[in-house]
Parts: sequence; structure tokens; C-alpha cells
Amino acid sequence: MKKQYKITTMLLVTFVAIAFIVSSCSSNKSALVSNKSGAQLWGENCIRCHSIPSPSAYNDVDWETIGLHMQIRANLTKDEITKVVEFMQTAN
Amino acid sequence: MKHLIIFVSILSLSGLNNLIGQENMFSKTQFMIRGYGHAGFEYTSVNGKNQSSYVGSTFAPIFLFKHSDRLLFESELEFELENNQVNVGFEYADMSYILNNYMTIRMGKFLLPFGTFVERLHPAWINRLSNMPLGFGHDGIAPSSGIGVELRGGFAVGGSKLNYSVYTTNGPVLKDGSNEPEEAGMLLFENFEDNNNNKAIGGRIGYLPFSNSSVEIGFSVYSGKVGNTNDSLYGNTGANLMAGDFTFVKQVSPLYGIIDIKAQYNLSLVDKADYFELEPGETIPTQYTFENKSDAYFAQLSYRPTMAGSNIIKNFEIIGRYSVINTPEGSLWEQQASQISYGLNYWLSWRTVFKLSYQTTNSEGGHDSPGTTKTNAIFLHWALGF
Repeated sequence: MKKQYKITTMLLVTFVAIAFIVSSCSSNKSALVSNKSGAQLWGENCIRCHSIPSPSAYNDVDWETIGLHMQIRANLTKDEITKVVEFMQTAN
Repeated sequence: MKHLIIFVSILSLSGLNNLIGQENMFSKTQFMIRGYGHAGFEYTSVNGKNQSSYVGSTFAPIFLFKHSDRLLFESELEFELENNQVNVGFEYADMSYILNNYMTIRMGKFLLPFGTFVERLHPAWINRLSNMPLGFGHDGIAPSSGIGVELRGGFAVGGSKLNYSVYTTNGPVLKDGSNEPEEAGMLLFENFEDNNNNKAIGGRIGYLPFSNSSVEIGFSVYSGKVGNTNDSLYGNTGANLMAGDFTFVKQVSPLYGIIDIKAQYNLSLVDKADYFELEPGETIPTQYTFENKSDAYFAQLSYRPTMAGSNIIKNFEIIGRYSVINTPEGSLWEQQASQISYGLNYWLSWRTVFKLSYQTTNSEGGHDSPGTTKTNAIFLHWALGF
């Protein structure tokens, strides 16, 4: 049990370390993520699990609630979901 | 009658939802009912014995109450027709509070981010096929939900993204065989009141290496003691569960459509323990033990020609999935099974889909149907998200 726990912890730490090393090599690309538009984030993130929703499916108020729900479920940042919701409210 | 009352209550709340919606013009609080449902027809042939039936009529309402821009309550119920009765499932009910741009705290009964299938892909209108891969659901080795507290979020790192979840729950319970001897050594994940003072710890890290979020690689763990407190036999028995998951979703122009690949590997390691079996005609139970290791995995590929010129063709989707489960050798629930599924879907809208699939399962062992079993099945399901 303890051995397995150590292995698990080591795997987690290694995974995070690799992620940070790979990411740091491309730090100049951070703008690619932070400068994305709401439409781009909508197209890239929703489709990771389900079909891309139509903006007209819900009204402005509904999108606020669904946005909060999806921010949590999809581990999106507040900045990302704000852009997506604003796009949906503009396009619906 | 009880179910009827619940159903009528939900309909009443739906009406209230409209009224509350009108007040949303002036308030940040909002109550919504979303969810999904599905129904269908299934034909199965188990070792040559055929059976067909209309099935399903599952109704799974999801209640969302947005108290403020930071505070959300969510809950899902599931009404399902099974074995000539209505089963009601309480899938999750939790509160979440957005701590900052990168961190949310959640408490209650929540879907566990153990891999991606249960948390993200299980709803009928999202799952591309009509059933779950081997290893999930009833008698599965992957946990679905837990009661506890979780910290989760995501952030950009350079041109890539990381998401994370760390949680503690009551944890799984070890079935010692006292109630169902044929399930001795299995884990029960629906642990509403903790059976010991040890809290299970788990987490998942997801890494999206490319700036377009087309690829995600995840690693999950879930670990804790599973025996009852003060149980001299199983009190120190622990379990370690691990999962690796992979996602690739991208519109590939040369292929005129979207390629969607999902895969997950689950591993369950439970400490070795002694169990007891009462043989027919015997009065003294026989002691036995086994290496309690199980694993299960699936890989799924789907393709939808979204860039096709025809509005009809672009709504079709083809799917293939392969899944496997292996449970411990020497246990009374020992099983080796593999399953291949082929599907053809037609999307009426982004959340409404007709799913036609053919599935063949080869199984050796298992406490429900010991021996070798070959099952062929055809599913025709209509799933709707709302």
C-alpha cells in the first residue's frame, strides 16, 4: 500500500514536472491561449466532450448559468468562460 | 406513488422556472432545469438465445441554481425503467464556489474526475454509443461519484493548459462477502456514510499540450482504506485506483470532418485479504484469497463529416469502440471480457441524436453468468439533451 502510494505520488510529480518543462519551452506562446476570442474558445472547448452548442439554444440569462456550470465541469478559467458567455450572448 | 409525487414536483418546478426566469431580468440568481433523456429498442443474443425489447425511457433532470456569479448548486436525478420498476438514482448534488480565476471549491456528492468518461462523457446525448464501455457502471471497477470536498481548476502554462482536481471523500467500501459471498473483494463506491475514519484521497491532472486544446492527457488516482473500522480482518485493507485518459478532438480539413478519439485505462489494486466461501453441503466456510487486481480499458474513434457539402451527410457519424475488463483470478467474480462496438449516428441537432449500433461481447467468468458467454446486440436509441 505504501509502495503503491509512493509510486502514485512520483508519477503525479513527474507528470506535472514534464508539463511545466514542456510548457516553459513555449512561454512565448502564452498569448496564443490568453488572447483567444470567445468564438475560438467556444469552438475548441465545447467539442472536447459534446457537439458544439448553438448560441440560439438559450437566452442571455440562461447562458450565464450554463457558463458557470461548464466553467466548473470543464475546468475553464473565469476569463475563458466570460469570453465564451459574452460570445454566446452576442450571437444568440 | 412516491415516484409520481417526485415527478409531479419536477414538473411544478419547471413551471416555477419560467416565473423565476422573468425575475432574472433583475436578479443574479437563477434556477434552471436542464438534463437529458433517452429511449430505444434493443435486440440481444446471448449464446444463441434471442431477446428483443423496447427499453429506456430514462429521464435525467439536472437542477442548476446559480446563486451568484461565484456560487452554484447542481444536482442530477435519474429516473430509469428497469426490471419492470422505476429506479431513481441520485447522481450528484453539490455546491461550488469560485475562489478565483483558477480555483473552485466544491462540496457534496459529486462525479469523480477519475479519468474522463464518468464525469464528462456518460450522459446519453454525449456518449456516442448506447451503453458504457466495460469496467464502468454496475460491477465496474471505475468509481462514479463520491461524497466529500474537492478543489479544482485550470490555467494556461505557456502555450499549453493544465487542469487539476484534488479531492477527499468517504471512499469506497470493501465487500467482505458477508451479504453477497460471490462479490467478496469487490469495491462498493456508493459510500454515503463513511465505514471507517480514513478518508480517501484522489485527484486528476489533465494536460493539454497544444494551444488549440485538441489533445488532453490525464492521470488520475484514488486511494484509501476500504475496510470497516475495528474490523480485525479488513480494517487495514486499502485500495489504490489509477486511471490514464487520452482525448483527441479536431476538425481535420483533408478528411472533411471531425476526428474524435477517446481512451481510458483503469487499474484497481486492493490489498490482499482472506475471504470465506460456504460450499454446498458444508457447514464450515472455506478460506481463500487472491491477488485483488483488476483493470479495464476502452478506446473509441468517431468521425463526423461536418465539412461535407450535403446537409444530410454532415449529420452522420460513425463510431468504433473496443473495451476490455479483467477481474482478479481466483475471485468468485473472476472475469475476462472484451467488447467491440460499431455505431452509426444521425444528429438531428447538436443535442439530439439517433444511435444505431452493433456490439459483440466475449466473456469468460463473472458472477452473473459464469462460463463462456458470447453476446451479440443491436441497439437503436434516441437521446436528447435539454
